[in-house]
Amino acid sequence: MIISEEEILALRGYKFPGGVRKIEHWENWLLTDCTTAEQLPDELVHPIALFHVPIQGSGLSISELFSLGQVNGAGSVGLDGYDWEYFHPLKENIPYRCQGEIIDVERIETDNGRIYDRFVFSIDLSTERGLLVARVTNYWRLWRKR
Amino acid sequence: MKELSSYVGTDLPSFEVNSVDPQKMKTMAALLRDPYPVHWDRKANEVLGIGDNVINQGPLNLSYVANMLMQWQGPTCIKRLKAKFLKPVFDNDVVMAGGKVLEVLDESSSRILCEIWLMRENEIVLSGEAEIILTN
Repeated sequence: MIISEEEILALRGYKFPGGVRKIEHWENWLLTDCTTAEQLPDELVHPIALFHVPIQGSGLSISELFSLGQVNGAGSVGLDGYDWEYFHPLKENIPYRCQGEIIDVERIETDNGRIYDRFVFSIDLSTERGLLVARVTNYWRLWRKR
Repeated sequence: MKELSSYVGTDLPSFEVNSVDPQKMKTMAALLRDPYPVHWDRKANEVLGIGDNVINQGPLNLSYVANMLMQWQGPTCIKRLKAKFLKPVFDNDVVMAGGKVLEVLDESSSRILCEIWLMRENEIVLSGEAEIILTN
């Protein structure tokens, strides 16, 4: 049974709980190591942290995002793209306030009859003084019929 | 520093990953708290028809491009990354991040726009654009 179009479109405007997230040195070290890069100087966080830190910081997990989109199992989710803006460098051990929402959902049927929902969410990271540090917009595909 | 306009059309120094490591995918999955089995459970992937492979995380694919940019212009050069994921990258793949300077966006801040990509052999698996600040 495919989730109805009405039900999935109702997620537009869904606001995430929000919260505060720090990136500790050990986490940044392992993350950077996964990218095969040398460690960065001056407590700089690897830019790729903008995938999981905003999600976790806004009070969600990837599992919960999957649950919201009603997908699970191999092949049920695809990445369409990212648009990540860095207004200031991310640093270890700084508390970042994260607030986001689902900004768009659209049901798409491909020419060969496959169906997916384009699922777009955006999250802002700010310092506790309100300085906007980064903004991420992520585009996912939630497959309904492959 | 060179005239900014002289950078337009320049190829960026590439960044190569000789073999995408499935152990790093496992560490990454733990850091991301990513429950999606395609990154660590070969058996779960049988239904996808990708043989005995696991799929690299999209953020890791993009990280190789970020590494290329930082290797060229330093660790704080990246101001914007826009990426589209075109094909999955598998364990043990050899991939190379590359790019080209498209235009100067702002002379005063030395901000430029680059085309970026990640290639496996002659196939582009990720493409997009990056805005960076020239520091060298």
